[in-house]
Amino acid sequence: MTRCHAGRAEVEMAELYVKPGNKERGWNDPPQFSYGLQIQAGGPKRTPLTKRVAAPQDGSPRVPTSETSPRHPPPLSKAPRPPTVGSCPVSSVELTTFPVIDSEALMEDVLRPLEQALEECRGHTIKQVCDDISRRLALLQEQWGGGKLSMPVKKRMVLLVQELSSHQWDAADDIHRSLMVDHVTEVSQWMVGVKRLIAEKKSLSSETEASEEKSAATAEENQTIPGFPQTP
Amino acid sequence: MATYQEFIQQNEERDGVRFSWNVWPSSRLEATRMVVPLACLLTPLKGRPDLPPVQYEPVLCSRPTCKAVLNPLCQVDYRAKLWACNFCFQRNQFPPAYAGISEVNQPAELMPQFSTIEYVIQRGAPSPLIFLYVVDTCLEEDDLQALKESLQMSLSLLPPDALVGLITFGRMVQVHELSCEGISKSYVFRGTKDLTAKQIQDMLGLTKPAMPMQQARPAQPQEHPFVSSRFLQPVHKIDMNFTDLLGELQRDPWPVTQGKRPLRSTGVALSIAVGLLEGTFPNTGARIMLFTGGPPTQGPGMVVGDELKIPIRSWHDIEKDNTRFMKKATKHYEMLANRAAANGHCIDIYACALDQTGLLEMKCCTNLTGGYMVMGDSFNTSLFKQTFQRIFSKDFHGDFQMAFGAALEVKTSRELKIAGAIGPCVSLKVKGPCVSENELGIGGTSQWKICGLDPTSTLGVYFEVVNQHNAPIPQGGRGAIQFVTQYQHSSTQRRIRVTTIARNWADAQSQLRHIEAAFDQEAAAVLMARLGVFRAESEEGPDVLRWLDRQLIRLCQKFGQYNKEDPASFRLSDSFSLYPQFMFHLRRSPFLQVFNNSPDESSYYRHHFARQDLTQSLIMIQPVLYSYSFHGPPEPVLLDSSSILADRILLMDTFFQIVIYLGETIAQWRKAGYQDMPEYENFKHLLQAPLDDAQEILQVRFPMPRYINTEHGGSQARFLLSKVNPSQTHNNLYAWGQETGAPILTDDVSLQVFMDHLKKLAVSSAC
Repeated sequence: MTRCHAGRAEVEMAELYVKPGNKERGWNDPPQFSYGLQIQAGGPKRTPLTKRVAAPQDGSPRVPTSETSPRHPPPLSKAPRPPTVGSCPVSSVELTTFPVIDSEALMEDVLRPLEQALEECRGHTIKQVCDDISRRLALLQEQWGGGKLSMPVKKRMVLLVQELSSHQWDAADDIHRSLMVDHVTEVSQWMVGVKRLIAEKKSLSSETEASEEKSAATAEENQTIPGFPQTP
Repeated sequence: MATYQEFIQQNEERDGVRFSWNVWPSSRLEATRMVVPLACLLTPLKGRPDLPPVQYEPVLCSRPTCKAVLNPLCQVDYRAKLWACNFCFQRNQFPPAYAGISEVNQPAELMPQFSTIEYVIQRGAPSPLIFLYVVDTCLEEDDLQALKESLQMSLSLLPPDALVGLITFGRMVQVHELSCEGISKSYVFRGTKDLTAKQIQDMLGLTKPAMPMQQARPAQPQEHPFVSSRFLQPVHKIDMNFTDLLGELQRDPWPVTQGKRPLRSTGVALSIAVGLLEGTFPNTGARIMLFTGGPPTQGPGMVVGDELKIPIRSWHDIEKDNTRFMKKATKHYEMLANRAAANGHCIDIYACALDQTGLLEMKCCTNLTGGYMVMGDSFNTSLFKQTFQRIFSKDFHGDFQMAFGAALEVKTSRELKIAGAIGPCVSLKVKGPCVSENELGIGGTSQWKICGLDPTSTLGVYFEVVNQHNAPIPQGGRGAIQFVTQYQHSSTQRRIRVTTIARNWADAQSQLRHIEAAFDQEAAAVLMARLGVFRAESEEGPDVLRWLDRQLIRLCQKFGQYNKEDPASFRLSDSFSLYPQFMFHLRRSPFLQVFNNSPDESSYYRHHFARQDLTQSLIMIQPVLYSYSFHGPPEPVLLDSSSILADRILLMDTFFQIVIYLGETIAQWRKAGYQDMPEYENFKHLLQAPLDDAQEILQVRFPMPRYINTEHGGSQARFLLSKVNPSQTHNNLYAWGQETGAPILTDDVSLQVFMDHLKKLAVSSAC
């Protein structure tokens, strides 16, 4: 797997994978694509496999023959590999081995900023919602501490918190979505609290911005038209 | 001009239309002699990343019976600020806003490249998107858990201000009240008694519509502009409680004794869902999503009794008229489907079970409302999970691809009339001067409603040439058709997409070659197939096949080149060369053959056939087969048993299944492990190439297909063997003299025999 960008490459790579379908529950269940791959699928398409050959009009098909037999080995690799029809698509990713990370330290790195964000929302967001979020963060802590979270989830959470801290609301939201799609069993119970926190922080920041803009505008107005009385 | 193929492709990309004929026969009589009707496949919301919508409203023709939209085909007098309607020739004044127009300052809708244009309507309050989940709880633990997780996940994929609601059902039906407080409350209904819309609304306390009627001015912009009921709340408000509510769902607590099916009140649950939306959000886009794991077994709409020893109806039972519940159940679901459609609501069915679930009876719910039908073995499969995720996929602008509450209106120039449409729609019963008496598909109207659609939803629209033989059209005259689609965009805006197309008329006696060259055999095959499948829903199978055969013979008589009574002389031109084989494969397809399929499967296949675009429909009719070998790049090969060779890998796409098949030698090489030896790396690549190509298809296909990886002699090779043309069978194997290809053990007629008969009949003067 080579298609990755610099920076968050390692984590993003983990998010581009295909895993086999559930053959026990569904016959010929198709493979499952990760969120990252599903999003990519919307990108530019290669030549679709939709060409057909017309049968010869006299009805009898041309008869190609096999030129090889199983007693002989396949031809040696001197010829270039047969290309696929389109550009080189993504193939199954071998799981990258992650460097061993001290998960205790990581948990604090994730939880502290989340709790801090929640504190900032108190007063702005109604108490019940804050309590609800708090309850879910506690659940996250419990599951993380109890060793119930997998490494990809932890790594993505670190990234999510980074985006949240740098006010990249949409990026944080996108990471939350990828976690819900790829790891729903692990995260569904508490992730909705994180989702809500992102939304609350976003609305808090846009309100702050709006009021700042408003006060700036009022100030400007006061400067440019000083002669007019203020409307109440 | 470019070749017709390029012309056809450009038109499809720009306007989302594919016509059977691209030069039109100029008289009624000649048109009927063309056999394939003048018709088109229309994809109303075809993806157009390069087409930004304009932020104003369309200008309409002032004649009350016309109201066509101003378009590039209209004659414009820039000095007098007048335009002549190209449909009714009415002269119209431009509105005041157009005072500044001139030859060099044209509004977009007059420019030829805007034959398709989209307008954003500013009037009216925006409507929220609504998703009502109707969830069967008579599931195995494993399935219910997987379904709950998928539903929880969907909350993250929905737009934050979408409204969601939840109805669960088993023996009873529960309508859940959603609130931000931690207390969950629900209304419980018996699953055996049908209720009228009025009763449901009274019992739920929905006496007044929560949604104010459309106002002339938009309401004051508020943070949450939508008044919602207790049962439908914005995702961003209740996502936490809704997640818990879903998490706490239990399997239906009523005991199921041995030898019994669980009591499942699907009919009443759907009825309540339809009634709830009818009472709260009439004429607003909404999706009812039914998730079910088995057949309805009690109350109105029951499909089978709860005694396991009595199996659910089969085709055999239907033929013998031995179906106790089918007619009554179908009637119940038809009533619900029509009510939902009348309110602009669509119904999806996600049926995951190993046995049949009653899709045959319930199919109208999806087919009349533009909803999705998904059939899987279990909710705990990638097939269901990913198909469900893709419902919420977004376009290049980050908007949801789904659209709601569309009304399609078709206008034609005088030489044409509208015969009907086939697709996921209902008639709006609007008669007009351009509506034909002769119906093809859903006819008798010039307008249809499509409650749910996406960029691939495609309708077949059929026309009739009505110009009389003795009233010739002036040389160089063109016929025109306008498609006006009003719909609710997922951004909650109302939008109108207008496509206006024109094609040349030709005199079929002197210019038959022109008409012939402009024949689009792919579009024609799909349009004829839709007619055939539409007939198959009401007629006996053999009658439909006979009708299709008859049409094919007549087409060959008309356009083939041959000497009378000399089959060997028969030839078809390039523009017709694939058509007979499309018909051959259509005859064998699950859309017309019910053998080996359950009634539910047939309903499922036909559902998808009636809504997909041309490319996908054609894959369904004649699967695509690619061959991979050391002899060169992958190449398309004949869908024929002669293509099954020992040193090839085949990739077959039937739309519903992706099959990878390793030839005998390839399979043995793989078994010997050559792919793991560095010196045979090219063999490893050869094995990988079809997997990569299959993955590309799987990544975008909706719904997710089954994925079959098999080899020569494998039991699953039957998926390939049943689709290829049996040119070599056990009957004629020795006639071939050499052992190539793979003989198919079948008595089915091969394409060669089919073609021989076709030629004989086409050149015969007896026909």
